[in-house]
Amino acid sequence: MMKRLLHLSFAWLIATLFASASWAQTRTVSGRVTSSEDGSPLPGVTVQIKGTNTGTQTDADGKFSLSAPENGTLVFRFVGLKTQEIAIGGRSSIDVRMETDEKVLSEVVVTGYGALEKREITGSIASVKGDVIQNLPMQSFDRALQGRAAGVLVQAANGVPGGAVSVRIRGIGSITAGNEPLYIVDGVVMNNASTTAFASSNPLAFLNPNDIESIEVLKDAAAASVYGAQAGNGVVLVTTKKGRAGKTEFNLNYYYGSVEPIRYMNVLNSQQWIQVRTEALRNQNPALTEAQARSSALTGIRLPGNLTDEQIAALPTYDWQRAAYRQGMINNIELSARGGNDKTTFALSGSYNQQDANVIAVDFKRATGRMAIQHQVNNKLRFETSVNLSNIKQRGPFGSPAGGSFLGSPSFSSPLIIPTNPIYNEDGSYFGTPATGGLAGILNQNVIMNAEYNTILNITRQVVGNAKAVWNPFKEVTVSSFYGLDYREIKGEYYADPRTADGFGVRGRLTNESEYNATFTANPVVINFAKNIGADHKLNTTLATEYVQEVFEGINQQVTTFPTSQFRTANTGATPVSIGGFWTSYRRAGVAAIMQYGFKNRYFINSVLRRDGSSRFGRDNIFGTFGSVSAAWLITEEAFLKDKVSWIDEIKLRASYGSTGNSQIGNFDSRGLFGGGFNYGNDAGIAPTNLNNPSLRWERQINSEAGLDLAFFNRRITSTIGYFNKESRDLLLDQPVPWTSGYGSITNNVGRLYNRGIEFELNTVNVDTRGFKWTTSFNITKLENKVTRLADGDTVLPGNPSVRIGHPLGAIFTAEYAGVNPATGRPMWYDRNGNITYLPQNPADFRVLGAGLATLFGGFTNTLSYKGLELTIFFQYEYGRKAFNNQNSFLMENGGRLFNSLLDVFERRWTTPGQITDVPRPINGNAEVRGASHLSGSRTLEDASYIRLKQLTLAYNLPQNLTQKVKVNRARVYAQAINLLTWTKWTGYDPEFLNLGAGNNGVVPQARNYTFGVEIGF
Amino acid sequence: MKNISLSIKTIAAASVVFLASCSNLLNVEPRQSIDSATALTTQEALEAAVSGVYDRLQSLRMYGRDFVALPEALSDNGRATQKSGRLFPEYLNQPNAHFTAATWQLSYFAINQINLILDAAPRVPMSDAARNNIEGQALFLRALLYHNLVRVYAYDPGAVIAQNNRGGVPLILTPILSSDQIDKPARATIDAVYAQIYKDLDDAIVKLAGVPNSRAPFYATRAAAEALYSRVALHRRDYANVIRFADAALSRGVGTFLNTAQYVSGWRSAVHPESIFELQYVAAENLGVNEALQTTYTTLLELGNRSRTGGFGDLVPTADLLRLMEAEGNDVRRQLYELGTAGRGPAEIECTKFFGKGGQPNLDNIPVIRVSEVILNRAEAYAMQGNTALALADVNRIRNRAGLPSVNLSGPELLEEILKQRRIELAFEGDRWFTLKRLGRDIVKAAPAQTLPFIDFRILAPIPVREIQANPNLQQNPGY
Repeated sequence: MMKRLLHLSFAWLIATLFASASWAQTRTVSGRVTSSEDGSPLPGVTVQIKGTNTGTQTDADGKFSLSAPENGTLVFRFVGLKTQEIAIGGRSSIDVRMETDEKVLSEVVVTGYGALEKREITGSIASVKGDVIQNLPMQSFDRALQGRAAGVLVQAANGVPGGAVSVRIRGIGSITAGNEPLYIVDGVVMNNASTTAFASSNPLAFLNPNDIESIEVLKDAAAASVYGAQAGNGVVLVTTKKGRAGKTEFNLNYYYGSVEPIRYMNVLNSQQWIQVRTEALRNQNPALTEAQARSSALTGIRLPGNLTDEQIAALPTYDWQRAAYRQGMINNIELSARGGNDKTTFALSGSYNQQDANVIAVDFKRATGRMAIQHQVNNKLRFETSVNLSNIKQRGPFGSPAGGSFLGSPSFSSPLIIPTNPIYNEDGSYFGTPATGGLAGILNQNVIMNAEYNTILNITRQVVGNAKAVWNPFKEVTVSSFYGLDYREIKGEYYADPRTADGFGVRGRLTNESEYNATFTANPVVINFAKNIGADHKLNTTLATEYVQEVFEGINQQVTTFPTSQFRTANTGATPVSIGGFWTSYRRAGVAAIMQYGFKNRYFINSVLRRDGSSRFGRDNIFGTFGSVSAAWLITEEAFLKDKVSWIDEIKLRASYGSTGNSQIGNFDSRGLFGGGFNYGNDAGIAPTNLNNPSLRWERQINSEAGLDLAFFNRRITSTIGYFNKESRDLLLDQPVPWTSGYGSITNNVGRLYNRGIEFELNTVNVDTRGFKWTTSFNITKLENKVTRLADGDTVLPGNPSVRIGHPLGAIFTAEYAGVNPATGRPMWYDRNGNITYLPQNPADFRVLGAGLATLFGGFTNTLSYKGLELTIFFQYEYGRKAFNNQNSFLMENGGRLFNSLLDVFERRWTTPGQITDVPRPINGNAEVRGASHLSGSRTLEDASYIRLKQLTLAYNLPQNLTQKVKVNRARVYAQAINLLTWTKWTGYDPEFLNLGAGNNGVVPQARNYTFGVEIGF
Repeated sequence: MKNISLSIKTIAAASVVFLASCSNLLNVEPRQSIDSATALTTQEALEAAVSGVYDRLQSLRMYGRDFVALPEALSDNGRATQKSGRLFPEYLNQPNAHFTAATWQLSYFAINQINLILDAAPRVPMSDAARNNIEGQALFLRALLYHNLVRVYAYDPGAVIAQNNRGGVPLILTPILSSDQIDKPARATIDAVYAQIYKDLDDAIVKLAGVPNSRAPFYATRAAAEALYSRVALHRRDYANVIRFADAALSRGVGTFLNTAQYVSGWRSAVHPESIFELQYVAAENLGVNEALQTTYTTLLELGNRSRTGGFGDLVPTADLLRLMEAEGNDVRRQLYELGTAGRGPAEIECTKFFGKGGQPNLDNIPVIRVSEVILNRAEAYAMQGNTALALADVNRIRNRAGLPSVNLSGPELLEEILKQRRIELAFEGDRWFTLKRLGRDIVKAAPAQTLPFIDFRILAPIPVREIQANPNLQQNPGY
């Protein structure tokens, strides 16, 4: 049967060939197809003779050749490009430049366990293409996401290169469980716990952002519930660049630049400081004469008490700030190659990145290597694999989080050190070493010396790899099996040099930590069944299984007493102080069923059902079930609109409802535990550490969403408007229990809160004529966060006044500052009745005065291009965030203790009765008799809203006819500025930081960067 | 199509198998902790659990600093220098600058640990001697913890401002392992708390009778329980028991009363020879450069070497205390104070009782009860009973040892002399605030601090706000 069929069709083929040959005069036509964008050759373009089935495809160089009738027409087709028809007109050579088809709807979006055409998507997915974040001098892609996607709030913890970044998708859904989204890189579940002790690290920094093809943020339940149990905080899918069939393309990328501080604090000179300190002493003890107080101020900073006015006027002022906050450099080089044939494709890349912080002795160095290979064994079986290797070396910052005492931190102390202290002795050696008694003042460490002599080092070696087999037993069925690993080895080292304060008393202290973290992901079986039934029905179902296991362990040691500072390894220390270790692990497994149904290409319904189990929960509640239903209606496909109103391209209405889970709690929080380490003397001790809670279960986020996707005027205007309501229930809360029970808290499912908001995105092509193009992208998110229920009818979480019913998480609860009594210069606050008090009581006189969570945030990009020139202007903003300016609180003491102060606060201080000002009189110890410290309450509470010119890039793509002469396909040069301008009311270094416990004390601030780069493709 | 339905069936079967195997797959046992339900079932585990209680006492918020330095800063012995700013609010007696929430927290954590030990011990197979040792130590520690709690957060018997009195502290005597066992206790009366302390000490003395002195002073012995008894009885104005248990404690051969020549060197040795109960600290337990007692009290790293600055020297003796020590000439105890460095501000005369005696800076054992205190407890009890002769004998023993001549006083003058000797002898060891408070005396301070009258609410520490929020039955002290 089969054989006969073959024979028949062969005969038919021969017959048609002869027939067509006899119709017209034919000739051989050849040519080359290139991209209009960058002139690169386009392989795989279908070239067809119009009206026939005859055709060919372009080869790896974009070249084609075929026999065609002289008067025929050639049709050039390629997915995503505008189809072109060109009459042969007797020519034998035809070169074609193909343009991107803006109208194309069938953009494919990665959705997790699959990909969908954009039109079929019923959930809320923000997609950021790799080229948008290309060449930004940022070490991890999460930082580059800032301001790019509606509903995604990105905040850097600090300005440390490769430092921690917080990503919050649609608000903060959990009080004490984690709020981090789930990151999946090429299918591998990333462990996003920041695990290092000695540097501010980011677990996503292993990946060179330039290796990213696209980032998809799954925001609502419809999109994210595929990942069920871990998707409560949203999911970020990262797809890296893969190989492409065709001629091997090489890409060389280099940029170089500088890092500099955004601002300096304007502090007092030596004379002003002595004056304000004298006033502070006299105000506290009026019995002192001016001369006595001045003498005391002078001896307090180790100057002779009897200095004359002239001698004081001659005292030099030393600028510690400019010694600590300084310019640094950026250096980045990459080489990548992509290519392959119809069976096997590959992508290879290597990179080296180096960036300094704007604070001394803090930097980041990373080398990465990457390989992605895909191989089609036959038309039924395919293998894919990719491996990312990275080696990261980070130094500093001293003083946080664990390396070095916080008083010795250059970023914290440099503006606060008493300005009479020199940095160096006349011979160039450091002044104020511990051996010579340190600096004068409370901050008695030479922080510049600390930075130079101490070692605070973090080395991360990471492998993220995966392997996948895809089998198509039938046309409709795809079965795949996937295995991935995220493995890191982190080595931390803190050597407190014996010449510095931390190591002086013990003749040097070395602390080493080694941590090993392996997160294994498996999707042993994923089965997809896709079928079109008739012309109207489209069915796509997936069944996926998942297993994730994490093991995290480490060892650490501390050794003191080194012969000299040249000896810096553990074997050279005489006194072992401590040895420690830890081990922890969890496992998670789940099954998901996904069903997508499309009817007549305009009605789409998707549903997801997922069941997950986690070892973290109580014996009775290991499993949880999650799911979602969503639907979309593509109104523009309806007969009454389709092809009727030419300027409307797309109107899509969509809605979703569903649940996702959160399990970001401690691995053993549900267990009653006795822990070790409670040692006494040389005896090992144990103590109860955790209350038993067998009923602990999943935290749930119930998401509802309605959205509208719009496209008008040939897609020159596209917009997305969405409303979401994310309710968090059964919150995994560290519920405080009375300490009298012997425990501090129990992880329990109590409380509720919601995040509601509106997201709006607008993309327009404002001008597109004669080579000049101006496009704009704007996004804004309005967010409302509110706690609605706590345990046992509590209105405030015991011990945590920032969690209160009816207020957003992170509510700022304090006494409101009422300014200065003009008669006495004393600071005042409002009490519970709105009257003036000098001594506000906690909690009776305290009120909520704002919250630390922004209510409006987003980004705004303009791109102007003319011929090869391209200008990108990107603003990013946050509004409605308040925070205490802890660091400036020290800078506002005005001589209350031995710290330097701000010039502005000095100049506005109260000095004479009747004076109206908000700065109280200086007073030793900062508190008037029977008064609170003048720094308490809302005096240091500030508006941390800001708008920032985040990126300004001017690029020039060299004309191809020029570059081709040196065999280069593409050449691009650019200059770029990051954080060029910031508008804010914040008075400290920078409003963007995360409060990791010490507020902004010593936080290395964001920096301004300038880079120049060149990109060459050949 | 047939093939498709077959594969769907296979998939369904596979996923059922996958989920069924999950329950086992999802079992992860912790490795650095053990299940609390079965933790205390061996003698070794119980002994480790007792170590876990001593460990709590080592914290900065317990004997590591607060029970030693705060009674000096809050009272008239210590003056804060503001070299780091620490203890300045406490020195000024600012509201809320007092014993902190962590002291309450750690005390009750330790009490639950003890309750668990006392609950489990009778069920664990071991010798009676071993069981008595474990139970005796636990009872001693519970008495010590409750006495510290009640004297920080409540008035002492006989020195009560009635309108400010909200009772003693909650008495928790049953163990808690799971959330359903937690209740919300009210404050027991001061008397009930003292009764419980007496009971625990009575039991401890019985159980510790067979425990050898070789475990002293780092572990509770019978002498330690008796010495503590004399202190508790003094607070309770139960003078007969003060004398009875002081006599007993001093007869056990734990702790040596030093002579004049040995006095200073006693404070230089790793283990204080006078200690009846002392907390031991090993290198890994070093309390650090910020708040350990050495850095709190002195800037010096080496005696007599003013060129090297170590700690902050945040709390130094008041002029008043120095004057008392210097008033009678050569008081040997004055040698424990010397001029510090100018490394962090003007040089001050600083206390050197805690001086890195463990072999590295900021590593010191901390005496909790020593022989001199017990003698002074007894002297005061004799004086209050009107037994002038024996009171004089005890106080002159302290005076003579300090290099001072005997006195011959009686009545109020004798009591004042005993209190003066107590103030000097135990200065910077955590006694002064509690002595003034149990006697109902005003805290007399010089500028810039102000005298704190005994009727002031700041005599009592604030109960942690979160405890009041988490437990509606718990009454806050007035003023907070």
